[in-house]
Amino acid sequence: MIPLYRPGTSLLHRLPVGAKFLGIFLAALIASMFRESLGVLLVIWAASLLGFLLAGIGVRGLLAQLWRLKWLVVVLSVPQLIFLTPAETGYNVARVLAVVLLAALFTLTTATSEILASFERVLRPLDPLLRRLGLSAERISLALSLTIRSVPVILSFYAEIREAQRARGMRPTPRGTVLPLLVMSLRHAEETAEALAARGVR
Amino acid sequence: MFNRSQVASAPTRPASIAPASPSAAVRGISQMAMFAALIAVLGQLPAIPLAGGVPITLQTLGVMLAGAVLGPWRGAGAVMLLHALVAAGLPLLAQGSGGLGAFAGPSAGFALGWIPGAFLVGLITQASWPLRLWRTILGVTLGGIVVVYACGLPVLAFQMGLSLEQAALINLAFLPGDVLKAVIAVALTHSLARAYPTPFSHARRRRR
Repeated sequence: MIPLYRPGTSLLHRLPVGAKFLGIFLAALIASMFRESLGVLLVIWAASLLGFLLAGIGVRGLLAQLWRLKWLVVVLSVPQLIFLTPAETGYNVARVLAVVLLAALFTLTTATSEILASFERVLRPLDPLLRRLGLSAERISLALSLTIRSVPVILSFYAEIREAQRARGMRPTPRGTVLPLLVMSLRHAEETAEALAARGVR
Repeated sequence: MFNRSQVASAPTRPASIAPASPSAAVRGISQMAMFAALIAVLGQLPAIPLAGGVPITLQTLGVMLAGAVLGPWRGAGAVMLLHALVAAGLPLLAQGSGGLGAFAGPSAGFALGWIPGAFLVGLITQASWPLRLWRTILGVTLGGIVVVYACGLPVLAFQMGLSLEQAALINLAFLPGDVLKAVIAVALTHSLARAYPTPFSHARRRRR
């Protein structure tokens, strides 16, 4: 599992997480509120283009991002062309793409660990409130890192199940694959809980 | 209770030093984390091409199962864990998409609708123990399809500049896949409840 983050040292990389997030959130909000204005659309596109250049990702990186979004463009434009004029469709697709690219810029320039750390910082003052729900910032952080660790484990369970199926010449059906995957994952959850308890996590 | 791996790793453990049994909170954290990872993995498996060429992934099957198996609170918690990691930049949504962009696009409402969706699935499905088939069907349909669509369609319509009816019409292409996943989710939930009832603690506490 490779994070989508691209390491770098540009201005955008060094900006505090909160400021970057707020900036992108506001830009997305403005793009959605002034949806009829061509000026706002051009400014947002210019901002994301500038951001990609500033972050050192460049035009090639931008094109790679756009290529990742090819299905979004297809899914967006085909139905719109049925109901709207081509000009309106192009306008709508351009607006959605601009916002998505801007959000992608946040993801590309901010390390996952940094975002998770800032989650915890935001949650800390909420601790008394969280405790009423039986939670705490620490527990949430623990759950997040457990999840990251569990993805490859569950992928390996899946590989094991597929191998067993192939050995018996079985075709993979959703039911035949997901049921053993569920049992293995939940058993693993139980083992993990016991391991945590043994290490004194309450 | 000893399980295989512990016995294997510590065969000479004296009987007097029993491992501390995990608290409900620790068990819940572990189950939520595992289910969040499971939903992520289900989204990465090869998509099933449906009649009409619309590919479906099993990701929403994972969401339905999260609610049905873990109950309302832990089910919704598993989805929130997944969303937090996606927002933090991990490619855990269907076919390796992720990052903040996943919450900026037209399908953002559907993904966010998974949270109340999983909650409602759990609330209805686990209202009693043993599970009742009609309750599971109702829960998965209302929580896994109706609530998710109710959250997703307005965002889809707004983002695409369409009316709600037009957005609903477009989304009709995904309905057969979602119904199929709901059927699979109901069957899996009941098989699992018979084969491995431990995780259904929400329902088992309100045994009737």
